[in-house]
Amino acid sequence: MSYLFDTNDGARYLLMGNDAIVRGALEAGVGVASAYPGTPSSEIIENLSRAARERNIYVEWSVNEKVAVEVAFAGSLAGLRSICAMKQNGVNVASDFLLHVALSGTRGGMVLVHCDDPGALSSINEGESRHFARMLELPLLEPGDFQEAKDMTAWAFELSEELRSLVMLRSVTRLSHASGNVTIGKLPGTEKRAAFRYDGPLGDPDTGPVVTMPVPKNHLILQEKLKKAREAFEKSPFNTYTGPEKPELLIITSSACNLYSLEAVSLLNAGGRIGVLKLGTTWPLPPELIKKSLARADKILFVEEVLPFTEENVKILAAEMAADIGIKNFYGKNDGTIPMTGEINPDIVVEACAKILGIEYRPMAPEFEAAAQEMIKTLAPVRDLTFCPGCPHRASFWNIHNALAMDNREGFVCGDIGCYTLGFLPCGFNTMKTSHSMGSGIGIASGFGKLGQFGMDQPIVTVCGDSTFFHAAIPALVNAVHNKSDVIFILLDNSGTAMTGFQPHPGTPLDATGQELPDIDPAAVCRSLGATVEYADPFDIDGTQAALLRLLHEGGARVLIMKQMCALSPAKKGKKMFEVRVDEIACIGENCGCNRFCTRIFRCPGLVWDRERGVAVVDEVICAGCGVCASICPSGAIRKTEARA
Amino acid sequence: MKILGSKELMVAVIDAGLCTSCGACVSLCPYLRSYDGKTAMLFPCTRTEGRCFAFCPRVEVDLDEASKAVFMKSYDDGPLGRYISVKTARAGSRMKKGNFQAGGTVSSLMTYALEKKIIDTAILTGREGIRAVPRIVTDPDSVVESASSNYTAAPTLSAFNQAVRDGRTRIGVVATPCQALALAQIRSNPMKQKDFTDPTALVAGIFCTWALDYRRFRKLLDGRVDVNAISKMDIPPPPAEKMEIYTKSGKIEIPLSEVRAQVPDGCGYCFDMTAEFADLSVGVHEGSTDSNTLIIRTDRGAAVVDGAVRDGYLEVGDIPRENLEHLKVAAGNKKRRAMDRASSVGLVNSGDDRCAVIRISPASVKGGGR
Repeated sequence: MSYLFDTNDGARYLLMGNDAIVRGALEAGVGVASAYPGTPSSEIIENLSRAARERNIYVEWSVNEKVAVEVAFAGSLAGLRSICAMKQNGVNVASDFLLHVALSGTRGGMVLVHCDDPGALSSINEGESRHFARMLELPLLEPGDFQEAKDMTAWAFELSEELRSLVMLRSVTRLSHASGNVTIGKLPGTEKRAAFRYDGPLGDPDTGPVVTMPVPKNHLILQEKLKKAREAFEKSPFNTYTGPEKPELLIITSSACNLYSLEAVSLLNAGGRIGVLKLGTTWPLPPELIKKSLARADKILFVEEVLPFTEENVKILAAEMAADIGIKNFYGKNDGTIPMTGEINPDIVVEACAKILGIEYRPMAPEFEAAAQEMIKTLAPVRDLTFCPGCPHRASFWNIHNALAMDNREGFVCGDIGCYTLGFLPCGFNTMKTSHSMGSGIGIASGFGKLGQFGMDQPIVTVCGDSTFFHAAIPALVNAVHNKSDVIFILLDNSGTAMTGFQPHPGTPLDATGQELPDIDPAAVCRSLGATVEYADPFDIDGTQAALLRLLHEGGARVLIMKQMCALSPAKKGKKMFEVRVDEIACIGENCGCNRFCTRIFRCPGLVWDRERGVAVVDEVICAGCGVCASICPSGAIRKTEARA
Repeated sequence: MKILGSKELMVAVIDAGLCTSCGACVSLCPYLRSYDGKTAMLFPCTRTEGRCFAFCPRVEVDLDEASKAVFMKSYDDGPLGRYISVKTARAGSRMKKGNFQAGGTVSSLMTYALEKKIIDTAILTGREGIRAVPRIVTDPDSVVESASSNYTAAPTLSAFNQAVRDGRTRIGVVATPCQALALAQIRSNPMKQKDFTDPTALVAGIFCTWALDYRRFRKLLDGRVDVNAISKMDIPPPPAEKMEIYTKSGKIEIPLSEVRAQVPDGCGYCFDMTAEFADLSVGVHEGSTDSNTLIIRTDRGAAVVDGAVRDGYLEVGDIPRENLEHLKVAAGNKKRRAMDRASSVGLVNSGDDRCAVIRISPASVKGGGR
């Protein structure tokens, strides 16, 4: 039985952190769930969508994170419990609306799950979203293990209803994507009624119109809510202490760092010397609990990701309490004991504790480590960060690169985040020269395209994916068209939100649960703005490059839609278009006229250089059968034939 | 002959602004491409020796070796290079009337050579608007479609390289002096390929004082004339000092000084006005609008002229002595200027650490084309 539907209270499951959050939401009887996909948060809505029908939930992949919060907020206003999930960058996108939600307050319990990505394992920044809690003045919860991920999610809805405030629940990659044992609780009934009441007096939290004004009054109410949250957090069972009554060193930690800290204490066998205060409620901090905890030890170490959020908040309280608790020695990010960037791990915590307490600790003999490093080299080949075999982006960047190189005016590509971000690397022929947040490629390009008056005559090309187009590119495209900016906007349409796992988007005809929806045609959107729109198949090398070279001679905002389905798309069912092989007699290999063009420059992983025989070969297992390499071989040695059905 | 790779070619020729866009390095490999009159390196090639470098007429050209490939003799540094005879020529009665610049001599010779299967392919240069476009022609009746002068540099040899790749073995080429020089290097088999055979059967050179950078010329004409409507371009003899551009709606004139400003720097190092490394060279005949000067340089060139005259494709006459002298003076001046310029920036017989434009016997440098 799936953990989604099990009504057996007390059953145990091995669950990913994101699954535990899902179960918590189900146990809370969530009615509305919305999100824009983003690693490491995507599984939350994906799995809720599987339960949508049985648990009577409206589940939606929204166009972007801001709209996702708005959709969930509507559910709350209509009296339902609602959840909204996103990665850290999503909170930036949603933040404008979130500030207003904080001020107006909520009705049905509403929880924002934001999954940070310390170390930027699947991101192009490691921006931390916890700081929004302080800025937005919203309560912030951080589960410290998998059980808590479920329990705190369920409790967050209650807290939200008690405070009439949105509650933030923060996860990180190593919590969302790692797994642990979770004991499940009861599932409520599925009957839910939605209605929005607005006939009461302004300011009535249950029946009045929901606006942020009058701001000074509502702001005071918001701070009263925070005060209540603080009181609740003083008694919260999610703030726990493990260790001796009076440790030599007190670690204050939260989230996945809790697990690293416990492991470090165990590795050092220092359970008698080190205490661990795990905070589940990190904003606003409960001052009495902090006071009691700081009084335990004179040495305090903060272990958290990414920035010194709790460290700084605790230090403010410590300054206020100095008369009572005395002077403390603080260790953490500010003094460099713990790195200020990247992921934390048990070794970092071990090293910090050993240094502070003067413990001799060698995790492994140096010669063992050297031998292990040597062995790793033989076990795992060095691999490029590259596009998948048959990825249309490789072909698209090939075409863009070659057209810009032939055009020979130092043209370049502005991009953003998606699989195609790799366009700045050799796999994209180093064609992309700027890459930032979603939709910012076209925005930056719009600006570059207006610098002609200062003598800038480099052609400006920008790319974004089909899901990104709807998410954030449209306003920037409007800007480019309206301001007559000279840009070529290339929509890399691979028919899905490929990078995060093929979630549907407004350009695809299905909803989160697989039901049909009207799909919106990006070409029609662009045309309606007044941009010229053309299509190209990136696998048609000659045709696409000819179209690009032609567009490079024209002015104004030009849109080229490069349409080709993602090589990994489930809709392709792994089918190859072509069988591809190398005619080894025709292959001229390293000779003048080729110099390993396919394996040295084009570098599709499906092509392998046979050093001994001096020829290229196709790795049939890896080859996706796109056939593009047959078009680029200068000797016509790569042959493609239609794959048998 | 010093042969290096494309990396060095880029530095010594493209980056140094010496490229004449002849196309000799293009269509040999997927790395170098010509587009809109400019040669671009799409990706780095790591080979330390390449045909691109070996064929380029603007880097490490050993004039004696090039000369031996064409004439079996070392370089003759006279103003017109090696030749057998000089005549006047025009299209014969067998030729259809075409849009000839002057006498139609080149069109006649190439038509004849294709007709009689002396060549299996003609590499010509047509025109689209003001852009010179290489053409691979196998139908003798199509030759005249590429008649008349182009003033922009064309990667004609990219079409030649393509024809070689396509397996053509008797190729006729209408070549500018830099292109004829590149062909001479190609014919010398500089990469020492086994089973090499000379793929050319006839190189018809055309006189050239300079060609225009297509992109810059396009910019110059922008707003003055619809380039797609141009039927003919001409530079009348001095003292006119102008370029004439003909369209259906009439003629526009552009001062020659403005036009000359669009000549690529690489042309300034060209010592060759009359395509000295061709089998035949054709150019204007002073004071005539319907005949050409024809320089016959090789036996195979002479045989084609004889046949074309015999079969009525070409008419030839004697060139007045003073016209020949004027031609020698003009060609000698170009040679001297180029040698002086190249020498002054150290591009003749450069030392080991630097690529030369040309390598030539020291006596010839001093003589400056006698």
